[in-house]
Amino acid sequence: MDWLADTLVLSRLQFALTAIFHMLWPVLSTGLAIFLVILEALWLRTQNPLYYRQARFWARLYVLNFGIGVASGLPMEFQFGTNWAPLSEFVGDFFGAVLGFEGAMAFMLEAGFLGIMLFGWNRVPPVIHFLSTVMVAFGANLSVFWILSANSWLQTPAGGSFSQGHFHVENYFTAINNPFMLRSVLHMSLATVETSMLVVAAISAWSLLAGKAEAFFSFSFRLALVVLLVVAPLQVLAGHESGLQVAEHQPTKLAAMEALWENHAAGEAPPWTVIAAPDENGGRNRWAVGLPGGLSWILEGRPRLSQDVRGLNSWPADQRPRMVGLIFYAFRLMAGIGIAVTALMGLTVLLWWRTGLTPAFFRRQAWLSWCWILAAPAGYLAIESGWIVRCVGRQPWTVYGQLRTSEAASQLPAQEVLLSLSGFTVLYATLLLFALVFGARIIRQGPDLTLEPPTGPVRGPLPLPTD
Amino acid sequence: MDFLDVFMPVVWFVILALFLLLYVILDGFDLGVGILSLTSPSEQQRTLLMASLGSIWDANETWLVLMGGALFGAFPLAYGTILKALYGPIYLMILGLILRAVAFEFRENAINKRPWNLTFGIGSLLAAASQGICLGTVLSGLPTDVDGHFIGSPWIWFNGSSLVVALTLIQGYVLIGSTYLILKTSGELQQLHVRTARLAAATTLGGALLITVTSPFVSETLRARLFDPAFLPFFVLLPLLGIALIVQLFRSLAMGQEVWPFVYTVLLFVLSFAGLGVMVFPAIIPPSITIFEASSSVTSMVFMLTFIGVLIPIMLFYNIYNYIAFRGKVDIELDKA
Repeated sequence: MDWLADTLVLSRLQFALTAIFHMLWPVLSTGLAIFLVILEALWLRTQNPLYYRQARFWARLYVLNFGIGVASGLPMEFQFGTNWAPLSEFVGDFFGAVLGFEGAMAFMLEAGFLGIMLFGWNRVPPVIHFLSTVMVAFGANLSVFWILSANSWLQTPAGGSFSQGHFHVENYFTAINNPFMLRSVLHMSLATVETSMLVVAAISAWSLLAGKAEAFFSFSFRLALVVLLVVAPLQVLAGHESGLQVAEHQPTKLAAMEALWENHAAGEAPPWTVIAAPDENGGRNRWAVGLPGGLSWILEGRPRLSQDVRGLNSWPADQRPRMVGLIFYAFRLMAGIGIAVTALMGLTVLLWWRTGLTPAFFRRQAWLSWCWILAAPAGYLAIESGWIVRCVGRQPWTVYGQLRTSEAASQLPAQEVLLSLSGFTVLYATLLLFALVFGARIIRQGPDLTLEPPTGPVRGPLPLPTD
Repeated sequence: MDFLDVFMPVVWFVILALFLLLYVILDGFDLGVGILSLTSPSEQQRTLLMASLGSIWDANETWLVLMGGALFGAFPLAYGTILKALYGPIYLMILGLILRAVAFEFRENAINKRPWNLTFGIGSLLAAASQGICLGTVLSGLPTDVDGHFIGSPWIWFNGSSLVVALTLIQGYVLIGSTYLILKTSGELQQLHVRTARLAAATTLGGALLITVTSPFVSETLRARLFDPAFLPFFVLLPLLGIALIVQLFRSLAMGQEVWPFVYTVLLFVLSFAGLGVMVFPAIIPPSITIFEASSSVTSMVFMLTFIGVLIPIMLFYNIYNYIAFRGKVDIELDKA
């Protein structure tokens, strides 16, 4: 149990644990916020109380989720100082500034308008309320932009130079708009919307199966399906694009994602490995099942490679990622779920067209509901797997090619980190359990179908015109 | 040094002080109400206390996130050194803030509210105490090598003077929380918090006096600054103003005023803050590392200023709008419906 006394391992475990746990919550904070904007826009346009009740019901889940997201975000920020002080010093010029922007532009916007969105229905005019919901959604999605820009910069540092243990920014816009930024932001934004819609669809499918509030959940299921119709195929495309940018900029990560050990020269047609048993010590796969000639189709869309592809064995052991099996399977899990969800969406749209997707149809075809119920956790699993590929695959670097993870960690007594790591493990397991219990309670209770929309003048003279 | 090399670190020191001040005032009453909720005599009253924070707690906490990001960007060395030195209390603060945030949402959905009431109150208390420990430790100085890296013990924060600062900060938060509740509640509940405000004002005053008297003995640098003739007028004026404000606070409480106790308390916070700021300036890692040594590059600070500087008035604007929208006494029926 040497790792119990190894500060670097413990700090990495703590970052991994807190990041994996934190990532569960911003999904709904950003994706479901867009859904709430759509619902409130429908309500404002049509004045149909159904849409108002939809907005209020989904907001209940939103707020339960939101608090944990905010709270579990705190250790993400502060860990850079406590456990990764050398990193903070090394990249503070850029990375710190971006976290500052995220706070000032995104978090504050989201937090400043959340109160009105949740509790202000009778306090402000409907238009201001709608604008508040838009601001919450906008703020949340801006934070996706900043965090992904910062993380992409760790993957493909740009916009300055490294000297004397520091990164010096020369051009901020180049640094923000680093090679990975655009496609990563797109991939993550689509992921939050897609998984949020899977959550809406799963809850709706479960309720329809149980025969609850049928008109209500038929509507939310269809709306989620319509959004997925756009988002799911786009995500497959964005995912593919993200893979290609890895091939271009991070050859060590690509080799680990594909469990490629040996080099392949241009002109070859190597197989695409579907499953394998990577053997890190032996520098090979114990066995592998592959599609003949598949790799060049995936990377270049042609029957033969036009460029060399390097295998892991071509780098010294301290220049390439470890845990190849984890990276390899996490990537397959993510991609597989993305494709499966798209297929499920396509099939369900087809059934909608043929049968009308009545509540009775849902009850008869329980398998369909179950597929959708399982798709929601699968969405979260895909997101977590994607982050594992992205960050474990970047190793041994924290700043790719520039700063090793071993050099980025604070020198701390191992017991201290072990203590905080154990604390987070117990705390987060408990929080997850209670979040599921209370989430399930909200879902079982279902929407309040007697809730009447706000009527009459809002309270008191307002500081802004009440159109 | 160029003008900007001197000017930009000072600007960022002031901005950081502003963020920290806003945090300590806004989350201060937030945490104070949380601590006070432990003493609520009934579930109904506790619900009112928590409802008074419902629309704002998250934004109030965000000032801390913002302060962290700004410190990281403007003074990366200080960010690494201070947080690493304060490993223990920082994680205790995070634990406290997580507990109170989730208790807020879980309590809403729980049938048995008691465990979450307790979680909320204890989380608030833990966060306040840890913040006080951090403040006390930084003020009394962190030993660093010539490069500004922390070389002290991981238990540096565990001492009597930090404890005094922590206890005083808790009292201060309870005071500002009480005056906030005087503003937001009425009747019996309001009267209860007039009493807690009086009590907390007295204990905060005691703590502040103790800190003022002992600080010259805790740190040589603080002593030198306190008795520096150039700062003498400031350090004479400060306690006089403080006493005047305390007197006014007690008078307004006695007269049953609703708004003024809160205003006087805020002014007391501003005053104490100005005192602390002048005591440490230009150090960012007391006693020896200055803002000029710990700052990021000038281009970085200028860039951050153009983005964040422009946003400060906008952030203040919509935060104020939020407070205006929910002004007046807590009204649970209105906000639930």
